[in-house]
Amino acid sequence: MIRKYLKQSAFALSIFSLASVAIADSDPVTIYGVKSLSGSFASYGKYADMGSKLAVEEYGEILGQKPVYKVIDTEGNAGKAIRKVQEAINQDGAKYFNGSTLSSTALAIGKEVNKSGGVFITPAGADELTGVSCNSSTFRWSVPTFGAIHETVKPLFTEHPDKKRWYTITPQYVFGEALLSNAKTVFDELGIEHVGNSYHSLQEQEFSGYLTNAMAAKPDVLLLLNFGSQSSNALRQAINFGLKNQMTILVSWSSGLEQFQELGTDITENVYFGAQYWHTVDTPINNELVTKVKNAYGITPNYPLAADYISTKLLLDAISEAASTDSAKVISNLEGRTYEGPTGTESIRAADHQVLKNYYLLKGKSAASMKDADDFAEIVSSGKSFPEESSLACKAI
Amino acid sequence: MNLYLFQALNGIGLGMIYFLISVGLTIIFGLLNFVNFAHGAFYLLGAYLSFSIVSLTGNYWLALVLAPISIALIALLCEKTLIKRVYHLPHTYQILVTLGVALIIQELCISIWGPIGKNISPPDSLKGVIQIGEFFYPQYRLFVIFFAAVVAIGVWILLDKTKFGALVRAGSEDAETLSLLGTHTHRLFSITFALGVGLAGLAGVLAAPIKGIHPFVGPEILGIAFVVVVIGGMGSFTGALVGGLLVGLVQSLMTTFWPQGASLMIYGAMAFVILLRPYGLFGRA
Amino acid sequence: MKMNNSIFGGVTLIALFLLILMPVLLPSITLATEILIFALAALACNLLLGYTGLLSFGQGIFFGGGAYTASLVMIHFDFGLLGALFAAIVAGSILAFIVGALAIRRTGIYFVMLTLAFSQMAYFLAYTFSDWTGGDNGLLDVPRPSLSFFGFVISDLESSESFYMFVAIVFALVFLLARRVIRSPFGTTLVAIRENEGRASAVGFSTNYFKLVAFVISGAITGLAGALYAMLLNFAPLSNIELLMSENILIMTIIGGTSSLLGSLLGAGAIVLIGDLLSSIWPRWMMILGAALIAVVLFMPGGLWGGLESLYSKFSNRVKTKQSSSSEDK
Repeated sequence: MIRKYLKQSAFALSIFSLASVAIADSDPVTIYGVKSLSGSFASYGKYADMGSKLAVEEYGEILGQKPVYKVIDTEGNAGKAIRKVQEAINQDGAKYFNGSTLSSTALAIGKEVNKSGGVFITPAGADELTGVSCNSSTFRWSVPTFGAIHETVKPLFTEHPDKKRWYTITPQYVFGEALLSNAKTVFDELGIEHVGNSYHSLQEQEFSGYLTNAMAAKPDVLLLLNFGSQSSNALRQAINFGLKNQMTILVSWSSGLEQFQELGTDITENVYFGAQYWHTVDTPINNELVTKVKNAYGITPNYPLAADYISTKLLLDAISEAASTDSAKVISNLEGRTYEGPTGTESIRAADHQVLKNYYLLKGKSAASMKDADDFAEIVSSGKSFPEESSLACKAI
Repeated sequence: MNLYLFQALNGIGLGMIYFLISVGLTIIFGLLNFVNFAHGAFYLLGAYLSFSIVSLTGNYWLALVLAPISIALIALLCEKTLIKRVYHLPHTYQILVTLGVALIIQELCISIWGPIGKNISPPDSLKGVIQIGEFFYPQYRLFVIFFAAVVAIGVWILLDKTKFGALVRAGSEDAETLSLLGTHTHRLFSITFALGVGLAGLAGVLAAPIKGIHPFVGPEILGIAFVVVVIGGMGSFTGALVGGLLVGLVQSLMTTFWPQGASLMIYGAMAFVILLRPYGLFGRA
Repeated sequence: MKMNNSIFGGVTLIALFLLILMPVLLPSITLATEILIFALAALACNLLLGYTGLLSFGQGIFFGGGAYTASLVMIHFDFGLLGALFAAIVAGSILAFIVGALAIRRTGIYFVMLTLAFSQMAYFLAYTFSDWTGGDNGLLDVPRPSLSFFGFVISDLESSESFYMFVAIVFALVFLLARRVIRSPFGTTLVAIRENEGRASAVGFSTNYFKLVAFVISGAITGLAGALYAMLLNFAPLSNIELLMSENILIMTIIGGTSSLLGSLLGAGAIVLIGDLLSSIWPRWMMILGAALIAVVLFMPGGLWGGLESLYSKFSNRVKTKQSSSSEDK
């Protein structure tokens, strides 16, 4: 790091000439991982970083050289993240980025990378990434809110067709609204009665009031549309209030294994969770990944690890197949690409750069029925649900 | 039972937790005229310690006793080595030092317990719910209300009926008189600081089964404590109790009336109170 | 420090020197730009804290307000560069006037708490009015217009180098202006209020009026900094208006030292660099930041600037004692 400062201050002497730095063809392919290692999203960045690192390290030669992985710490701050990405682009000629948990950061990085014609694959939650704010550089691995609702509400209702009264708790911002409006559509489609909704702010951690509102509405199913520590707290408090005995609870957008580890079986048992990834999915790539992660880090892969592993690998594969670091060629290789990923056969839709992959409905196991320390849930169902290509909000690709 | 009545009960439960979070901050400010920005961090540390004790022994009650005492001892150590050096400095420096302490505690917690949050289950005897009309209320929350009330009475007796309390009150009025009386002000300060911070640790232990433990919760807790203390009046025990209950009630009832604005209303209420009553509801100039 | 006390000499010269040196010494010019922008915000905070004795936890309101205002007028009303910056200055002043008018009626810790409460309220307002602010996603696609006068384009500011130069010029102008303010009778009055408010008001100064004007000036400069930050990032995130931003600006100001405006540049530089350097080495780097905060209070209460000053006076004393054998000045 110190060396970087020395080297670059020498370089900076020649600054004020407006020429950007040209990358020599002989430089190795470099993947920049944008990870929230410090700051309030550290729980995510740590594992995401492991995933990208693993993907780069196990990769053989690419264009005649070992690829290189560089990490950019967002410090949990969108402004810092953007500035560092700008730096990487302007000074190192960086082109290939992946990561960024936070929607706001991912959206802004997508714009920034697009300006310089690079490529960016992210697992962030904002539908705008492949919707209204889509661009030719940005790809998204995670299933949009549309799929998260369709693949959880529908199979749960199929299993319990008698549960017709649903109550929702929603964080009031774009992401929450998107989940809610999808849920309302599905409710109408299935003939579910939406008996009420409570909005809460994005900083709320105390849900007793909202849960009381829910109790008063006497629903059959409580659908939690928040995520992260908010859904953990809402769920924890719902269990405290004894709601598990009165209604079925579904967390439509869980963060996967780490959330189970945080909450423990007391809380997760018999609760339904929607998930982007689960480590017991039986696909060749996933089985491999589980073994590799066990060997490398001694843990079970969770969602951030798997997501950033596969998106890094995708980038490398595309560069390798395009046999070029020209990002236009890499982008066209990615578009329409079908490949084996951790969730099975995945593909990238050319029209909006959305990865089409499975979304899972999980059900929490009891402590007694767990086969190992991380065997928190069984997979109830899985499937691919995406908005029709004709109805896409993405116009810029 | 009426929804609003139940929300009011909820608000009292919440308010008692807020009282516990704030009372230590207000006692420390009252006597030492010291602003402790690390208060939320000690709350966090208390919660994490209780997590470790529960996972080692499986006994929540042990954690409820041991964790706050450990926090008080850590606070004592911290006071002896660091905090007492900044009593005489302006608030600016006190804020800076305690912010530093808060950052160190937060990052230490992540290093020790990892970045992913932790959960503590309520003790088995308090896991159930109590039915009130058509609503259910967790036994554990009832226990917290009860326990916080006992703590409140204990602290009140300590401050109002003992020699220690008399000294603390005298010191809050005028620190110079105290030293004229020949009291060891330094020892008094240390004990008060440890007591106040220990109460923050206790709040952390009690709130953990409700709110979980997350390494970045410190600033949020600090924010709540400030609001409560400012509404009630800096340095006032009664203020912390009334302020806590008031904030709890406002927050709980707002979630039924206007949920989006619940958080906004709390800070609005705080600004409103200061503008009308400059020193809070029970504060002195 | 015995230096030339005119507005253009001494400290100002050092500031200009640093402005030229920073892009050469730092690993990247965007980093240097970020430092200058935060130095502007810290300088504005310094005017309140160092020269008026007001510890404001609400600087993020004006920073975020400036960023949003500049972005919105550029996006919706096609404002040019200078127009947008001016709008941000006006917005910062108005916000500071509102917050100031209410907050300065209280003193001491209640003033601090009140600014903190307003800061939280501003955050929730920005979050609630997401149609305007973009809410949690932030405002994307913020333009960085070119610098032009009456149709003559002086620079398109597209490259990070030219934007740095622009920010550096803005910083230098604000720095000179701020020096001018604190050396005016108005500035002396502020210091008098800081030293002894009772006496200042007894002498016949309306102390609240002076404090309010100081608040408005501070808000204007902070708003300007926020606007420049939005232009640097092409993005106005919600984190601009968070309490954490206010806290950061305050930390920069105090770490840098409040006895000189130049301290703010040092403080902003130190905090941004520490974050940048350490975060790439150790994810738990904030522990070191915490220790640094404590160390500054215990060992360098005047902040970095105070530390440098005492180093300088030690050094010059030594030189003087050597010289004093031959010459006899005091």
